[in-house]
Amino acid sequence: MTPAWTLISAFAGALLVLLLPARSAGLARVIALLASITGAVAAAAACLAKLQHPDAAAWSFERPWIPQLGISFHLAANGLSLSLLLLTGLVAVAGVLFSWNVTQRPRAFFAFFMTIIGGVYGVFLSRDAFLLFVFYEIVILPKYMLIAIWGSTNREYGAMKLTLYSIGSSALILIGLVVAYAAAGGNSFDLDYLASVRYAPALQSWAFPILFLGFGVLAGIWPFHTWAPTGHVAAPTAASMLLAGVVMKLGAYGALCVAMPLFPQGFAEWRMVIAGLAVMGIIYGALTALIQKDLKFVIGYSSVSHMGFILLGLATATHWGLRGAMLQMISHGIVAGLLFGIAGRVVYERTHTRDLTALGGFDLWRTLPGAAFAFTLATAASMGLPGFSGFVAEISVGIGVWQSVPWLIVPVAVGIIVTGAFSLRAMHRAFFPVRPAGIEAAPMLPPLTWPEISAIVLLIGVSLAIGVYPMPWVTLIDDGLKSPLFHSILSLP
Amino acid sequence: MNYSALFIQLLPEAVLVITALVLLGVAVAIEAKTGRPIPMDLTIVISSIGIVGAYAALNFCPTYPDSGTTMLVMDPLARVFKAVVLGLGLLAVMLPPARREIAQPGEFHALLLFALTGLLLTVGTTHLLFLFVALELASLSLYLLAGFSRTAKAAEASLKYFLFGGVSAAFFLFGLSLLYGFCHTLTLPAMATALKAGPLPPFAVVGLVMVVVGLGFKLAAAPFHYWAPDVYEGSPATSVALIAAASKAVGAVVLVRLLLMGFGDAAGSAAWGLMKPGWSLWIGVLAAVSMVFGNVLALAQSSVRRLLAYSAVANTGYLLVAISAHGAYAAGAALFYVVVYGLATFGALAVTAAVERDRGDDSMASFAGLVHRSPLQAVALLIFLTSLAGVPPLAGFVGKFVMFGAAMAASTTDGVPGLTWLVGLGAIMSAISLYYYLMVLKQAFVREAADAAPVALTLSHRLAVLVPAVLLVALGLFPAVLLSPLTQALLATMGGLE
Repeated sequence: MTPAWTLISAFAGALLVLLLPARSAGLARVIALLASITGAVAAAAACLAKLQHPDAAAWSFERPWIPQLGISFHLAANGLSLSLLLLTGLVAVAGVLFSWNVTQRPRAFFAFFMTIIGGVYGVFLSRDAFLLFVFYEIVILPKYMLIAIWGSTNREYGAMKLTLYSIGSSALILIGLVVAYAAAGGNSFDLDYLASVRYAPALQSWAFPILFLGFGVLAGIWPFHTWAPTGHVAAPTAASMLLAGVVMKLGAYGALCVAMPLFPQGFAEWRMVIAGLAVMGIIYGALTALIQKDLKFVIGYSSVSHMGFILLGLATATHWGLRGAMLQMISHGIVAGLLFGIAGRVVYERTHTRDLTALGGFDLWRTLPGAAFAFTLATAASMGLPGFSGFVAEISVGIGVWQSVPWLIVPVAVGIIVTGAFSLRAMHRAFFPVRPAGIEAAPMLPPLTWPEISAIVLLIGVSLAIGVYPMPWVTLIDDGLKSPLFHSILSLP
Repeated sequence: MNYSALFIQLLPEAVLVITALVLLGVAVAIEAKTGRPIPMDLTIVISSIGIVGAYAALNFCPTYPDSGTTMLVMDPLARVFKAVVLGLGLLAVMLPPARREIAQPGEFHALLLFALTGLLLTVGTTHLLFLFVALELASLSLYLLAGFSRTAKAAEASLKYFLFGGVSAAFFLFGLSLLYGFCHTLTLPAMATALKAGPLPPFAVVGLVMVVVGLGFKLAAAPFHYWAPDVYEGSPATSVALIAAASKAVGAVVLVRLLLMGFGDAAGSAAWGLMKPGWSLWIGVLAAVSMVFGNVLALAQSSVRRLLAYSAVANTGYLLVAISAHGAYAAGAALFYVVVYGLATFGALAVTAAVERDRGDDSMASFAGLVHRSPLQAVALLIFLTSLAGVPPLAGFVGKFVMFGAAMAASTTDGVPGLTWLVGLGAIMSAISLYYYLMVLKQAFVREAADAAPVALTLSHRLAVLVPAVLLVALGLFPAVLLSPLTQALLATMGGLE
């Protein structure tokens, strides 16, 4: 099974769901589940094959597409793409499981869902700038529809804000890519070719921030992060999981694998600015999460904070930093998916509130013990406790920071402490409230269903597996970082 | 050239004119016999046969001339665009005007065929006087078509269109006369040769500016767009579709022919820091003004037709960006874009017409719940509007990307792309445009309708919605099918221009 099956299964799934007759709409979720499992298995198989035969020739697929402009349909996968494909597959499976009870227009819901998944796979696989941009933008419209039609709090506003931020940032990406294309001679959009060209330093110093900011907005770079919490809160559960879990990673991936390799000197000039914004994001996101009343907003702002670690890792320009950024992408993808799944689906479906104080009235630790247990583990993973994926990622980023700009470790440490504070606060108030004696006990809530349990077990299992034995992921990531794309970045002074 | 060769050369146009005359005759005969106007279905069938016949005749026209300069040409560019015009014309025929608006369908469709004849002739000439006459033939028919329905709004639209059109035609003609005074010739290749002798004297520059103004009106470029919103709002949907799609495509071809083929040496430059006066710079400024004006004003519209009019202005802006880059690949991309733009706007107008007939007006609220009332039209509308906004994998996205990429490549000197300012503005404006297209789509997909009564469509109307939607998806996935012949045609026609 080549990695292309991830892409094929997702788009074929979307198409099949759409073609279902109206009376068998119930089949939509089954088809979506099968398609996501196919994608996840294909990604896992490709990762395993890579681990067993690290030196085997990398898979690639290339056909001319628009020859006038040197655009080809070029797919390939290195270790970085493979690990992110697997992340996407896992979040997709969990997302379908957490959407098992969607009854409003299920065909359209799962078709949009699978289209987003397909677009994300496509970005990770593309080796042509045009193709990458196509997949990057394919995601935008389904995101809007998912939020605007199936969303909750302020859905039309959240959907529009998120869509405008996305399309605005992709306009910046478009500008950056065509600048590189034209400056490289105007004959090829191949990413490896574009990255091999040495652009004039003057050009790099203005083109890099445009391209990086374009990707950065989707990665939630401070102060352009505001779309993320509003969008995540407005979105239906599966869409929040996808948005925070994988779509934000598209931005980070683009920054790492497109913006930085294309304009390394521009990156060298701007990386301290990026580091500053990243640290601002870490601290600002964590402090804002500390004062939220809505459980989903807490998770939304925690995402901004966690994405700051990724950007900071990139800005270190060290091997440890880039590796940490990649690990954080994977870790945050799993953990954010899990947190949104529990808060948006498991808890909200039963209590119909996400307000922390109101949730306290439900005595969730007693009335819904499964959710309380899962959320506790997820919180531990999110805080980066040893044994969970977050720890591996944050320690790697920390080492990278120490190697390049040692004093930055201080604000990072502050950020980590505040992260602990807001995570514990939210968990405590929502699930383990202190209730004065004499108040009538809250009634028991329906226990967790099988789809919920399987999704939770899947995601927690993966986070634990990475935390306990990170080697396979590190091997994959290190293989990807060996690519000539990153030579000029890792050799920066 | 003898007369039989001339006739063969003009076979497609002849077929159209003969069909129009037959149509008028049949209409008169039927009306005289039954006392009622000819049925719409019959005029649609006759006009369609005529257009298909003209397309068939196109294949008999030999490529012409092999050398030298003549009034009529049949070069690859003319061949491709005559086919495009006929295709867009056929679509316009398929989109029937509302029965209560049009009392005489026979005359309406005959005028439509005359307009197409004018557009075909315009594409196939490099002689400026002939070009003017052909353009006027098309324009006069379009003025009438714009005012054909007996409503006050249509009358206002037609009058505005006519007055602005008349003034711009005067500009165009006066500009031509100034250029003639300098070059002593009216054929483009000869003008290009005359230009090699030296820079344009001031009065010839004025002439060139006037010609650009005249064509700017045709293309609805800001600030010559004031007729567009009223015409789009008030005229019959079929006429608007023809003006928006076929007439605009022809305007773009004329602009490309005139500027790149005839006045390539007077281009100047719009590159940042290297700006030199010349049409490239003027077109660049027009592009910037059109993009900003069109997009910003479209944000405030509540009538979907007016929104499409401002979107037309904005899209002209993107198109002019590529033309101002002065390169064959960029111009090829611009011509590709004008075709996919035409398809998308046509489709959007076709859906709007259906909604309007169902709900009584074209306000955004009339689109509420379209996905339940007519899933086919809602999905088609999604394709049209997102193609206009430039969302992949649709043809509008490919067109914009290729235009911007080629424009940047053509304007690069010493590794620095000079048109970044213009392309950057275009990319950002295009991102803004998604907002107003989404406002319509939000009504169609997110909001619920007051009642879920399905929107009924005639067969030909259904085809007019389906065909452009399918074409936009197909051209988005396989753009080279149209882009390659266009680029080849330009390279062959312009000869040596890179």
